Amino acid sequence: MNPLARLSLGLQKRFGRQRLRRILLGAIPFVALGSLWQMNAVYGWLAPIHIPPPAAVWGAVFNLQDGCPGVIDALRQSSGCLFTNHILSSIGRVGLSLVVGLPLGVAFGVLAGMHRRLAHALEPVGVFANAISGIAWVPLAIIWFGVGWLTTLFILLNTVFWLVFFNTLLGVRGVPRAYEHGVLTLGAKRWKVITHVYIPGALPSIVTGIRMSMGFGWRALIAAEMIGGDRGLGFMLFVSAQEYKTEEVFLGVLVIAIIWMLTDRACLVPLERWTIERWGLVWRPT
Amino acid sequence: MAPHAPQRSERPGEAVALLDRALFQHAHPRVVLSARARRFWRQGGIELALLVVFILAAWATISATIPRPDRYLPSPLSVLLSSGDLLWKGILPNYLGQTLWRLIVGSLIGIALGIPFGILVGLNRHVSEMFYPILNFFQSISGIALLPILMIWWGTTEKTVLGVILYTCFFPIAFNVLTGVRSTPRIYMNALRTLGASRLRIVRDVLVPGAMPSIATGARLSIGYAWRAAIAGEMLAGRRGVGWMIFSAQQVDETAQVILGMALIGILWILLDRYALRPIESDTIQRWGFVQR
Repeated sequence: MNPLARLSLGLQKRFGRQRLRRILLGAIPFVALGSLWQMNAVYGWLAPIHIPPPAAVWGAVFNLQDGCPGVIDALRQSSGCLFTNHILSSIGRVGLSLVVGLPLGVAFGVLAGMHRRLAHALEPVGVFANAISGIAWVPLAIIWFGVGWLTTLFILLNTVFWLVFFNTLLGVRGVPRAYEHGVLTLGAKRWKVITHVYIPGALPSIVTGIRMSMGFGWRALIAAEMIGGDRGLGFMLFVSAQEYKTEEVFLGVLVIAIIWMLTDRACLVPLERWTIERWGLVWRPT
Repeated sequence: MAPHAPQRSERPGEAVALLDRALFQHAHPRVVLSARARRFWRQGGIELALLVVFILAAWATISATIPRPDRYLPSPLSVLLSSGDLLWKGILPNYLGQTLWRLIVGSLIGIALGIPFGILVGLNRHVSEMFYPILNFFQSISGIALLPILMIWWGTTEKTVLGVILYTCFFPIAFNVLTGVRSTPRIYMNALRTLGASRLRIVRDVLVPGAMPSIATGARLSIGYAWRAAIAGEMLAGRRGVGWMIFSAQQVDETAQVILGMALIGILWILLDRYALRPIESDTIQRWGFVQR
C-alpha cells in the first residue's frame, strides 16, 4: 500500500469518514479565499493599503509584540506586549462582566419572576432595556465615566445583565405552578422552592440568555471600545485604521472572529446541548 | 336580574367582576374597556405604571441632588423639553428618517442577496457542506468590526455605513436559509420527485416554503444586529442619524439630547420589532412552518 493511501485510511479511521469529508469540503472555500488573497499580494490587483498581503498581517503580530520580553511578561500585561494586552483586556472584561452580571441577572430575575403580576409588569421594562442596551449607552457612559475601561465594562455589563435578567424572568414565570405547589405541599421552605423548582425550571431559558448576552455583548464591547475605550481589540482596530495600518486591522478582525468562534464552539454550544439533554428543550423567546 | 344591579357575593372572583362592571360599565356607561386593555389591567398594568412613576421620580430626585445635573443627569422634564426644541427645528424627524432609510435599504439589499444565495448553496448536499463553515466564519465577524476596514476603503461615506448594514444582514440570512433548506424533510422532496416534478418545481414547492420559517427568524435576528450596527456606524463614520445625534450631543455636553436619543432608539426598535418584524415572523411560521416528525 502506498503511503498516501495509508495516510488517507489512517485519517478516516481517526476522524470518521463522514466527518473527514466534511472537514475537507469545508476547507475548500477557506483555501480558495486564502490563495486569492495571496495572489492579490503577488500580482498587486488591489493596493496593499486596501488589502494587505497575508505575510504583512502575520508580521503585524510581531510588530505589535515588539517590546515583549517573554510569555510571562505577556501574561502580566507588561507595556511592550500590545497584541496580547489588547486580547487579554477584551477577554478579561468579558469574564468580569460574566462573573458579576450573570449572578446579578439570575438573582434579580428569579426574585422578580416569583411574583407573577410583578413579572408581567417588568416584562415591558426588560424589553425596553434590551432595546437600548449596548451601543446606545456609549455616549451617556462616556459622560458618566469618561473614555476608558469603566465605560466599556459598563456597556458590556448592561448588555449581559438585562439579557440574563429578562430571560430568567420569563423562564421562572413559565414554570408551571403545579410544581411549586407540589414542593410546598411536601413542606419545603421558600429557599428549597427556589433551588429545586425555579432555577432548574428556568435553566434552559437562562442558558439561552447567556448565549444571547455573549453574542450581543461581544459585539457591543468591540463597538464600545472603538468609540469610548482606551484598550482592547476594538480600540486596536480603530487606532490602526486611523493610522492606515490595514494589516493590523485585518489581524484584529481575524482575532475577533476566531475568539468568538472558539467561545461559541467550546463553551456556549456544549452548554446549550448539555442543558437540552439534562433539562429539556431550550426555550427561545420569540 | 338587571345586569348592572349590585349584588352580594361570597366568591371574591365574582366580587371583582362586579366591581369591574360597576366601575367601568355602570358608572361610565360609554367607557368599555377593550379585551386588550382588560388584559393589560390584569397583567400587572398598575404595577407597571407605579414602576414607571417610581423610576421617573427617582430619576428626578437624583438629578435634583447631584451637582451639575445638566451635564450628568438632566431631569426628565428637561429631556422632554429638548425634544420639543429638536422637533421645532426639524432635526429629529430628519435624523430618524435617515437612520430608518439606511436600515431599510441596507437590510433589504442584504436579505435580497442572502436568500437566493442560501437557496442556491443549499440545493446540493456537497456544496452546502462546503459553504457551511465559511458562512459560519463570516457570520461570527460582527459587521461593526469590519467598519474600520470599510472606512479605509471608502472613507466616511454613506457607502461605508450601508456596507456594514448589508454585511450584517447578508451572512446570518444566508446561513439561516442554508440551514432551513437543508433541514427540510427529504420525504417531501422524494414525494414530489416520485410524482415526476422537475428540479425547479421542487425548489419552488418544497425548498423555498420549507426554508421560509428560518428565513423569517434569520431576518429578524439579523435586522436586530443591523440596527445596532447602523447606530454604531453612524457614530464612528459621522453620518447624520440618531446614532450621530446622541454622539455629537455628548461631545457638546447636551446630555438631555443624549438621553432623548437613547429613549427614541429604544422606542423605535420596539415599534419596529413589534409591528413589523414579529408579525412577519409569526405569520410566516404559521403559514409555512410544518411540524417535523
